[in-house]
Amino acid sequence: MNSDGQPMRQTAPWPVEISQHHSAHPPDRTVAVEAAALNKWFGSFHALKDINLAVPQGSRIVICGPSGSGKSTLIRCANGLETFQGGTIRIGGAELTGDEKQLQKIRRTVGMVFQQFNLFPHLTVMANCTLALRRVLGKSRSEAVGIAVHYLERVRIPEQAHKYPAQLSGGQQQRVAIARALCMNPRIMLFDEPTSSLDPEMVKEVLDVMIDLAADGMTMLCVTHEMGFAREAADQVVFMDQGRIVETASPATFFAAPSQERTRLFLNKMLR
Amino acid sequence: MNFDFAFAATTLPTILGVIGTTISVALLSCAGASILGFSFEIARRAGSLPAYLMRFTIDFIRSTPVLAWLYFLYFVLPHWGFTLPALVVGILGLSIYFSGYLAEVFKAGIDAIPKGQAEAAKALGLNRIDVVSFVLAPQMLRNVAAPVGNHFVSILKATPYLAAIAVPEMLGSALDIASNTYRYAEPLTVVGIVFLVLALTIAQGVRLLERKLHGPTNR
Repeated sequence: MNSDGQPMRQTAPWPVEISQHHSAHPPDRTVAVEAAALNKWFGSFHALKDINLAVPQGSRIVICGPSGSGKSTLIRCANGLETFQGGTIRIGGAELTGDEKQLQKIRRTVGMVFQQFNLFPHLTVMANCTLALRRVLGKSRSEAVGIAVHYLERVRIPEQAHKYPAQLSGGQQQRVAIARALCMNPRIMLFDEPTSSLDPEMVKEVLDVMIDLAADGMTMLCVTHEMGFAREAADQVVFMDQGRIVETASPATFFAAPSQERTRLFLNKMLR
Repeated sequence: MNFDFAFAATTLPTILGVIGTTISVALLSCAGASILGFSFEIARRAGSLPAYLMRFTIDFIRSTPVLAWLYFLYFVLPHWGFTLPALVVGILGLSIYFSGYLAEVFKAGIDAIPKGQAEAAKALGLNRIDVVSFVLAPQMLRNVAAPVGNHFVSILKATPYLAAIAVPEMLGSALDIASNTYRYAEPLTVVGIVFLVLALTIAQGVRLLERKLHGPTNR
């Protein structure tokens, strides 16, 4: 939607082309997240080097790369969990200023799913989902519960609403974490290696939920090693190494004919 | 000297007569030590200079005897114009002394919360106050409940120090009986048993609390 009056952005300078995706609706051309000349250091370690990346509204972008390549750092910059020292990040057109109030406002529109789930262990599944609805959006209890039930059904876990996170399997916990983020009706979802700490047999139930979301047109920026997911759901695959974006391509090109030697080496190891 | 059970029984009502003082002093001191210890720990996180000062304060408190604190507050402060009632001195002294230990309890209780908890709360758009009050504080309280309970037992067992500044608590009343009757074994044995029963009961309570807090429903 372009209902919030954001002007259309000129996206020409960005390496990620606005893609034509395959849903029934025409693609939304508003840019959900846009990093320009982004640089970040951890002390003397140069973690992100001149990153330029645009995530158009309605697109699904998968970031992959070896560990330490900066991919998690990049998406953590996109909702202000990490600070950066050079360049800019715009969320829905608004530049991140580091101002606390602005960040809080922007974070309402940016859902995030973590590798370690990060559910609140002292709260039930329902309370995990309704906390921000009530405290941030000021919904009434019954309204918040209604929204939470809707999204718990969407991740196929409504019957667990009154359990505590520790009573659930890893896959169930991660699906609750996805529902918790969806409750806020975000304009974009960030996934930071959502399946990396799951037992193998639970990866699929989480990926299925993510593929459903992608099919519904959710804007997604996803750090993952799940190449099957990238193939099936992504518009663009971004390959990072040593803090740089090495290559950006459509999944078809990325897997069949990557242009960079470094990408080929990585894929050889991943797709063995 | 024979142990006179009948005499021991007659000392019990006198000693139990001040059990209320002992328990209230221990509760108030535990509350005081918790507030003080928590404040130290929060201040310690405010920067490197506060961290250094608080580290020094906590080490200083933990390296001085509790009796020294009580005597200082009771006998030295009046020279500077601060005369406090013995009961207040007792609660204050125990609060200060145990705050050094409780600061460590709160440090551990806060450190045990994974970093991802605050991140997830912030990522949902919660403001700082809500992050602390709805996500971090409840988890910290759960983490510290059992250790604070154990320190409460220690504080309870330290209340006899207050006999030194004439606070009417259980050991003091046992000593009064002893000096009036020249019989030490019976009142001191009775006071020991009363403390034993109290401490064991509370320790059992703490154990149950711990099981409830860290049971299957709660990580």
